[in-house]
Amino acid sequence: MSARQAPALPIRNRKSTMAQQPETRISATTPRLDVAHLAKTYGSGEKSRTVIEDLTFTVDAGEVVCIVGPSGVGKTTLLKCLAGLHPASSGRAAIDGRTISGPPPEMALVFQDYNRSLMPWLTVRKNLILPLRHLKLPAAELKERCDSALSAVGLSHADNQYPWQLSGGMQQRVAIARALAYRPEILIMDEPFASVDAQTRFDLEDLCLKIRKDFNMTILVVTHDIDEAVYLADRVVVLGSRPARVLRVVDVDLPAPRDQISTRSLPDFARQRTEVLSLIKRPA
Amino acid sequence: MKASIRPYAFSALGIAGALAIWQVLAAANVAGNALPPATMVFTTLASILGTGMFWSALGATLGIALLALAVAALAGVAIGLLVGSFEPVRYATLAVLEFLKPVPPIVILPLAVLVLGPTAEMSLFLVVFGCLLPIVMQTVDGVQGTDPVARDTARSYGMGEGEILARVVLPSAMPYIGTAMRVAAPAALVVTVVAGLLGGGPGLGQSIYQAQAAGDYASLYGLVIVLGVLGLLFQGATRLAERRVLHWHESYREVVP
Repeated sequence: MSARQAPALPIRNRKSTMAQQPETRISATTPRLDVAHLAKTYGSGEKSRTVIEDLTFTVDAGEVVCIVGPSGVGKTTLLKCLAGLHPASSGRAAIDGRTISGPPPEMALVFQDYNRSLMPWLTVRKNLILPLRHLKLPAAELKERCDSALSAVGLSHADNQYPWQLSGGMQQRVAIARALAYRPEILIMDEPFASVDAQTRFDLEDLCLKIRKDFNMTILVVTHDIDEAVYLADRVVVLGSRPARVLRVVDVDLPAPRDQISTRSLPDFARQRTEVLSLIKRPA
Repeated sequence: MKASIRPYAFSALGIAGALAIWQVLAAANVAGNALPPATMVFTTLASILGTGMFWSALGATLGIALLALAVAALAGVAIGLLVGSFEPVRYATLAVLEFLKPVPPIVILPLAVLVLGPTAEMSLFLVVFGCLLPIVMQTVDGVQGTDPVARDTARSYGMGEGEILARVVLPSAMPYIGTAMRVAAPAALVVTVVAGLLGGGPGLGQSIYQAQAAGDYASLYGLVIVLGVLGLLFQGATRLAERRVLHWHESYREVVP
């Protein structure tokens, strides 16, 4: 339909077709992030609550995958399992074939609530340094990482300010810069742009795509905004509630580079957002 | 400019008014020699300030209050972090701590005097006892009030539990600890004086007791005025320190638009 730019992205979800596209990625045997029959139940006995029943999907290296679903579907729980903050009840999540059992060093997480995830007593630069301290990096590398992360998000001028002196969009960019300075290979974002205004949201979406391009990062974004998911993603994992399960994995066939105006006005954009929306709206 | 002077002008007016009422009541002889006139108290105070005994008593009071406050703060924050962070420790200690919290230091003063005698150690013990528990309880509240998102952030970046405690939980709890210190600082002074007054510990409390025993009411009121000023200084110093340490907190932020 449209010539997608490299890397070509094979369909790896087990619920979708088994037909494999020719693989052009460099390391191709295992998916970067592999979620297989993941389930999460809180509590036990009669009071137990199953938030995630059986989730299976994969994310390949260099891909942007968005997870959408009705609110309260357990998206945040899923991310906490992926980030190693909560153990899965059954099934597994793995990075490069290794099961995630604690916070993986190659992964960074960006939370929706930037004003709760940034430390108000630290300046922007010190917020970036905080998670790097235990890596015991040489001072020069520490500085270089912070400088380049701040310039990647366009906040080089704000490094001595406190987060609360900045606007919401700028604060979220600080949170993203903190993740970048950690030099992750996989970036996971939990509704990262839900608390900013529409214009800032567009800017941050494009920042996200730029990061993928510049750092060759694998990015997983949880969002409730279907347009955003279609705009950002190579594939959209549509979740159904409760408990959460994968309804379908939608391949997004939109040309790259994406553009807020031209991409969103493509007939294909409308078709794919309708496809995702009808999945979510459909009575379960 | 005028607006910033006004509060001070009114304060000065209030103080002058209070002193005038005091002077009039004393002149009217309402309480006999138990209430000497303000002028006489201030003259006596001036002569007390010239004696070495006063300064060593003042030094003893300040030394005991500040040392005990420091001990209570360090120990209280350490215990609070422990109790707040570890559930078994919390369950094991919280009932005892809650039970001890409302016990005023004066209740255990006789016991302290019995064991330690009328000494500086006795005063120290009482002040630490009086200040420690509120600091512990506030620290526990602060630890529990740490934003789970901040904790998750730290954990997701692979920070260890000890590092999270020191670099995320402790700073998060600082506003609570600051409040505890603001209450504890003047209380430390009060308990030091009470320990001297009733328990015979060294310092201004003892001087007040001696003045009272000698019927030297002018000296007694003079010393009380000194204590009042000290209390204000303590309060001011803790407020200043709090503002410094917590400059990032909502209540102290200087909003830059």
